[in-house]
Amino acid sequence: MSAPILDDLDRQLIDLLARDARVSNRKIATELGVTEGTVRGRIKRLQQDRLISFTAITGLEMASKSRLAFIWVQAEVERTREVARTIAELESVNAVLITMGSFNILALTLFDELDDLVEIASDTILAIPGVHHVETSIAVKTVKYNARIAKITESGEIDGGGADDGE
Amino acid sequence: MKSDFSFDETDRQIVAELRRNGRATNQQIAERLGLTATTVSSRIRRMEDADQLRVVAVSDFAAHGYEVLMQLSIEVDSRPASEVAHELARFSEVFAVHVVTGRYDIDALVALHDFEDLSHFLLDRLSSIRGIRSITPSIAVDILRYQFDVAPIEARD
Repeated sequence: MSAPILDDLDRQLIDLLARDARVSNRKIATELGVTEGTVRGRIKRLQQDRLISFTAITGLEMASKSRLAFIWVQAEVERTREVARTIAELESVNAVLITMGSFNILALTLFDELDDLVEIASDTILAIPGVHHVETSIAVKTVKYNARIAKITESGEIDGGGADDGE
Repeated sequence: MKSDFSFDETDRQIVAELRRNGRATNQQIAERLGLTATTVSSRIRRMEDADQLRVVAVSDFAAHGYEVLMQLSIEVDSRPASEVAHELARFSEVFAVHVVTGRYDIDALVALHDFEDLSHFLLDRLSSIRGIRSITPSIAVDILRYQFDVAPIEARD
């Protein structure tokens, strides 16, 4: 799979929208010196190609679950994908990566109480057929985190056609 | 001062609508929730001003040409782990750094354009940090789910 090429306009558009996605197409068009139609078309294409996605990021104070844990999983090699899929379907799991290293699956979860972590890691994931071993580690301090660049895995987006002007 | 900020049910409904479509107009959200556009607008503003909400475009690693994603599990030796974590955080290739419990001391997410960047990152970047005893990389070969909409929010300048 070759890397999709973004031009300067795409990059400027992404920078603007990464700061605030509720800017109207009209405002973006004025700022970048292009037409509203161009802005609309570009956003649509970037969304269709799964290069961008719009979401609401909420602060930790609003979240009921705000502690991050890494759940490292050793699964039978020939069942890695199947096990990873099962883990990805669990509601409380936020991310699932198939990895090459000492563990073949990494699951990330946000939790509140330690009991919840034990339930997801030791009771649920460890019990999935094909899983041999699970190790968890809890993030006690997050020094850096970039929520603006991520892996876009599904496109459930609806094009709203541009938010209101913020007045 | 921000810790006494509280969200009510209406706030949560608005956030749910924004998660579904961050570019929906205030009017569209208002109609779905049976509110006025003014209420929606002022609620969003209030959450944003309290640094508890950002409606943003999230872009894919691939959009920036990052083809290699690795999780590094790092053991620290004779130095506070937080210090090492802060030095790691300065590198642009490092997207996340957490001090963690367990076998390792630090977990870091690293994105590189290709494997050729790896030697530069390992030999020029990481080797300049004192106190790293070992690095255990896990290379992401596939990502089945990646859903983070809760994050530390930085204040706007």
